[in-house]
Amino acid sequence: MSTISIKNLRKTYGPYIAIDDFSIEIPQGCVYGLLGPNGAGKTTTFKCALGLARQSAGIVLYDGAPLVPETLEHIAYVPERSVLYDWMTVAEHIEMQRRAYRKFSVSRANELLLQFGVDARKRVRALSKGMRTATMVALAIARESDVLILDEPTSGLDPINQRHVLNLIINESARGATVLFSSHQIGQVERAAERIAVIDRGRLALEGAVDDLKADRKIVEGIFPSESFTLNGLASDPRITRIDRNGRIVRALTSHDAQDVLARLEALGATGLRIVDLNLEDIFVYAVAPSEATADVVEAAQS
Amino acid sequence: MPVVLTVDPRSGVPIYLQVIEQIKRSVALGVLAAGEQLPTVKQLALDLTINPNTVSKAYRELERDGVIETAPGRGSFVRSNGVSETTKAAATDVARDAIAAAVREAKSIGLSADEIRSLASAAINRWFREDA
Amino acid sequence: MNYVEWLRVRNCLKWLAIVLGALLVIGLIIRITVAVQMGNDESFVKHTMTEPGTKISHSVVGGINRTTILNPREHVTITIDDQPDGGRVIRVVEPSGSHREHADHVTIGSFSATHSQNGTTETTIIDTDAPVPFAYYLAMAGLVGLIVATIFGATFARENDGHLEIALLKPVSRVRYAFGVIGADVTCIILAEAMTIVALAIGQAMFEVPHFDFSGANATFVLVALLHPFAWYALLNAATASLKRGAGAIVGFSWPVALAIVIFSHVNLGNSVTGETFHAIFWTLSRVIPASYASVEFGHDDSVSTGLAAGPWADSAQYAMLAALALVYGALAVVQWRRVEA
Repeated sequence: MSTISIKNLRKTYGPYIAIDDFSIEIPQGCVYGLLGPNGAGKTTTFKCALGLARQSAGIVLYDGAPLVPETLEHIAYVPERSVLYDWMTVAEHIEMQRRAYRKFSVSRANELLLQFGVDARKRVRALSKGMRTATMVALAIARESDVLILDEPTSGLDPINQRHVLNLIINESARGATVLFSSHQIGQVERAAERIAVIDRGRLALEGAVDDLKADRKIVEGIFPSESFTLNGLASDPRITRIDRNGRIVRALTSHDAQDVLARLEALGATGLRIVDLNLEDIFVYAVAPSEATADVVEAAQS
Repeated sequence: MPVVLTVDPRSGVPIYLQVIEQIKRSVALGVLAAGEQLPTVKQLALDLTINPNTVSKAYRELERDGVIETAPGRGSFVRSNGVSETTKAAATDVARDAIAAAVREAKSIGLSADEIRSLASAAINRWFREDA
Repeated sequence: MNYVEWLRVRNCLKWLAIVLGALLVIGLIIRITVAVQMGNDESFVKHTMTEPGTKISHSVVGGINRTTILNPREHVTITIDDQPDGGRVIRVVEPSGSHREHADHVTIGSFSATHSQNGTTETTIIDTDAPVPFAYYLAMAGLVGLIVATIFGATFARENDGHLEIALLKPVSRVRYAFGVIGADVTCIILAEAMTIVALAIGQAMFEVPHFDFSGANATFVLVALLHPFAWYALLNAATASLKRGAGAIVGFSWPVALAIVIFSHVNLGNSVTGETFHAIFWTLSRVIPASYASVEFGHDDSVSTGLAAGPWADSAQYAMLAALALVYGALAVVQWRRVEA
């Protein structure tokens, strides 16, 4: 129950298209980050993957098989907002999960609650937002499941607990679990995720291994002697995703082979050539809101 | 056993490359002695808060480069045979990358090859004179 | 698998126990007050004592304390027997003005009064601890059952409001989970009714030893006492199973609306076309309201008859309709919940 395959997923709510032709493959043991602006469709994707919502088209497969009730024995989910019962205590939630699933470690749940500083005897309504998130994380990790899906698992948590959740995700991965999580904290995704997908307005904007994306995506910058210069069809180069011209400065965003692109710029007469590394946040911003990206990236590179 | 590495996930350099570079540097500096055991993949991942497969990837490349060797079930160790060559090779790698980056930077500012060469000589003179 | 629902059931029964306990405590206080007030029997028959010439005597007949009050002027004889089980049998024999034969019997709860006339003598026998037609108890239990049914009337809507990510990610089919919820809620209704009957018996026992009449419709009325709340529970859930918000309002408005439909279906709205049309509409609507099949008559004889025409056949039709409504509405609720999206 460890590989997740989302194929051509489509979800509409009446006329509104929430997800359109979204496909990703998550191999076993991978930590997969799902990035996207608010409202892009991350939570909707999870809902369709878990049978909480019915997709309009497409299929989600676990180890090649569609979701059936038995599959849920092997999947743990941490939703974005609290779904706990306000009137029950944390301990009663533990008991509830213990009875519902074959595999559930009560001792691990209690250990994790202690680490997060949650008192199991308290009723959920007496817990802060962060504590509720921590409780849901503890309940999920105590399942020791093959698949772990988390939607913004660190929202509302203080930095120490955020780091703690990240360590738990890494621990689960080391245990062999397949982890799919979404987060707005790109730094977290950068650390923990092996592969990422960026979803924007319901569509797949970018997908790949974090290491590969960082190694391949660069900005090649060159300065031309005067403002009038031609790029000789550089823009049609398949390795270049976009080109920005600002006076005499040209910045080309490359998807691979930055050195070759640099050589091409040099051949066109540019000097002051350099290759600027992009971190995951830069890559993400370029993928979803390119107009925001340019100034920030260059500023960061120059600082 | 505790190895002090730091990685910067926010840099544009892939994390596994940073890990490789830092381990090579540690070996070169003698911080990691010959035959010393490296942390387990899981332990290093938790210490650095990075993905365990990233650590595995780094270890695999270090093994391919002959810097470390992995004994199944026992762990990963710094190669003890020919350690001086490994150390030298590791040191050379680190230095090569640093010098290449410096040359590229200088060239991009607009210096000619000759200018860069004279800068390099001046630097060598400066740093080796102090050793004499 | 439905641990959460069983917790809800436990909480509901806990509150019911508290309410019943409080009522019993109040009953106990009343009992003690009454006992103190009526320390001796004389206060009960005080007014008769003021008549000149009234003779009051006490005797023991067959182990029972008897107070005899003779009013020779009016030729009235009253005997009051204090039963060991706490009841009283009062027998009033008096001459009547007219000359006929007839007999009358009224039962209200544990009070039974028989009035007979034989020639010129009228005899009235009042038994304060007669066997209670069990239907009274069942009616009270049924009322509590309806309340519990209403409390759980939006049981699926409650899950829909922000808890589906827990409820629907259990490794069982939605239908199985839904049946588990229904099973727990129905058990709560049954246990609540049982608790009510026990509490009523205890309450009555504070005053007198309860006797029950299980004859005839009294026994079969248990089907109404159970099936009516089941059907009502099922109807409310059929109405709210797809909702995330607003279920409370629907449940809140449901009972006055249902009551109004049932009442108007019985009322004669006049012979005009409008009147007849409206009556037809209300009658049709009332066919799907469980309360239409749960009426009860407490007649003058000592048994209870249910609303439709007399006879065992009519009663069976009533129970069958209630059961059918319970099943149909229940199925509607489950079918809707199967399709709900988080």
